Amino acid sequence: MVNNSDPPKSKSGYRQLAHTADLGFRLYGESLADIFVNAAHALYGVMTDRRRIRGLECREVVVEAPDSGALLVEWLNQLLYLFDTTGFLGREVEVQEITSQRLQARLRGEPLDEERHQLNTGIKAATYHNLEVKETAAGWQATIILDI
Amino acid sequence: MESKPPDIQLRRLDDYRWEVPQTGKMRTRGLIYATWDMLPDIRTDQSIQQVANVATLPGIEGASLAMPDIHWGYGFPIGGVAAFNLTEGVISPGGVGYDINCGVRLLRSNLLRQEAEPILEDLVDALFRNIPSGLGSRRKDLKLTTPALRQVLRLGAAWAVKNGFGTADDLLHIEAGGQIPGADADLVSDKALDRGRDQLGTLGSGNHFVEVGYVQEIFDEAIARAFGLFPQQITVIIHTGSRGLGHQVCDDYIKIMMKAAAKYNIELPDRQLCCAPITSPEGEQYLAAMAAAANFAFTNRQLITHWVRESFEQVWPAGPRALGLELVYDVAHNIAKIETHTINQVTKKVCVHRKGATRAFAPHHPEVPEAYREVGQPVLIPGDMGRYSYVLVGTPQAMVETFGSTCHGAGRLLSRHQALKAAKGRSILQELAAKGIVVRGASRGTIAEEIPEAYKDVDNVVEVVQGAGISRKVAKLHPLGVIKG
Repeated sequence: MVNNSDPPKSKSGYRQLAHTADLGFRLYGESLADIFVNAAHALYGVMTDRRRIRGLECREVVVEAPDSGALLVEWLNQLLYLFDTTGFLGREVEVQEITSQRLQARLRGEPLDEERHQLNTGIKAATYHNLEVKETAAGWQATIILDI
Repeated sequence: MESKPPDIQLRRLDDYRWEVPQTGKMRTRGLIYATWDMLPDIRTDQSIQQVANVATLPGIEGASLAMPDIHWGYGFPIGGVAAFNLTEGVISPGGVGYDINCGVRLLRSNLLRQEAEPILEDLVDALFRNIPSGLGSRRKDLKLTTPALRQVLRLGAAWAVKNGFGTADDLLHIEAGGQIPGADADLVSDKALDRGRDQLGTLGSGNHFVEVGYVQEIFDEAIARAFGLFPQQITVIIHTGSRGLGHQVCDDYIKIMMKAAAKYNIELPDRQLCCAPITSPEGEQYLAAMAAAANFAFTNRQLITHWVRESFEQVWPAGPRALGLELVYDVAHNIAKIETHTINQVTKKVCVHRKGATRAFAPHHPEVPEAYREVGQPVLIPGDMGRYSYVLVGTPQAMVETFGSTCHGAGRLLSRHQALKAAKGRSILQELAAKGIVVRGASRGTIAEEIPEAYKDVDNVVEVVQGAGISRKVAKLHPLGVIKG
């Protein structure tokens, strides 16, 4: 189901994991902040073609959780809440402050516009399944599964 | 998911039943309904391990069950059924899922297939126009105030009928009358309310749909007649749930339950099984919040029914009476409910979790609507958009074995990624049109993800539940027009 080969050193970005019912991502980054930025990109990339999102508006997001894994779930679910309530799609993410228990970030993006944005799959939630955020010799790595 | 799951030894009981023997910390055995041929597919993920994991939870009654459409889920497998007693048993949001009261509703009509076919394209267009679907779908014509939304959570589908969306007769043909008792809007977070405010009457995306079809085959004439079904009759299936409101309730309570599981010293083999004793404050609060989200879902399907009726009237201006778009039934397949069952000759109240499993009560059960009391509860099993769906009926055997439960659908065969790959370079819309099926979707991507070959053949799933005797085939419905998210 999953490609088990080790990632090349110092990878950055995200890679989709094959999963029958839902969607998973393996995230890479040089810092913990990178993981959160890439997770947001992966999330928006499922929902639409990110290249069409313009950075017209700002949103501030602060989330807290007991550990870095739960913080990642909380972060993505907060972005889904923002989308459900205001249609906001993020293009750029700037992490302003991060610890394993608290994240403060600013997003630039715009609300969904059916004329402009491709509508792909909606996401119900980020889940705790196989959740992992860790620092490796090659940088930071995380796994997150989305329920869609 | 990371490594190949260990091969759990299964014991064959008969052609349709496989036992997961009680080992280690399991408090009971697992029981999987499947044929030999299905096992390799089932073994490709960790769902059998999940059946075993559920069996370790406190207060479980009977076996940890899995229906033939079993596949991997969060904590509990999809297709899982588990009942817990009210003394030491637990309730778990993972046993319900993120889409609380995702379910299926079936409408019948007075129209025949040949009457509807000439207007089919117009009809599907009207449905697509009138029912927002797809990513971020919201209703511009119905944004609820907080007091109104709180009423929806308390009253369920009755709120819709009270406000002119449907008839009192509709309510008689919904599981629990479209209103789960004990719902408490105070236990639903402001975030959940915000997400649900303009999502009532919308489909959402993923595998949710509205499908116009016809009765292709009848297997039991007497029961079909009782359900008001006849050959070549136009039918409508609505498949959706509680939208963002339900997802938020699940997310909110998973966090609460993670703390609660530690507080009550419940040992969890997987943290997505997080749960609390049913009688604890956390357990009672989740049940009340889940009931509120379930009522939101019943209302959602009721409102969509209103716009389905309106769409038919727009293209077939014969008036509602001539159309006869009446509700056959509406049944949840993601829910936990307090029900009375007889286990080893003892009758007691239990909390039945059905996650991707459908209630299938037998004839004469008091919760079966009066119109169907003699024949049993209708069960609605949607297939993929290119093949067929089934109407089944509950049986006494289901009451004995599965807490009155059966399967809920076909189950995926390909991942969304694989499906997209398989659909690449093809026009899925044209392929389906060539088969006489008109499809409208908000997204080409979603339609590709939902191609028929991405799903198992629902025939195989239904053969198992019929063979095992936990429900019986009544009718097969063939799709003609589909709107997808």
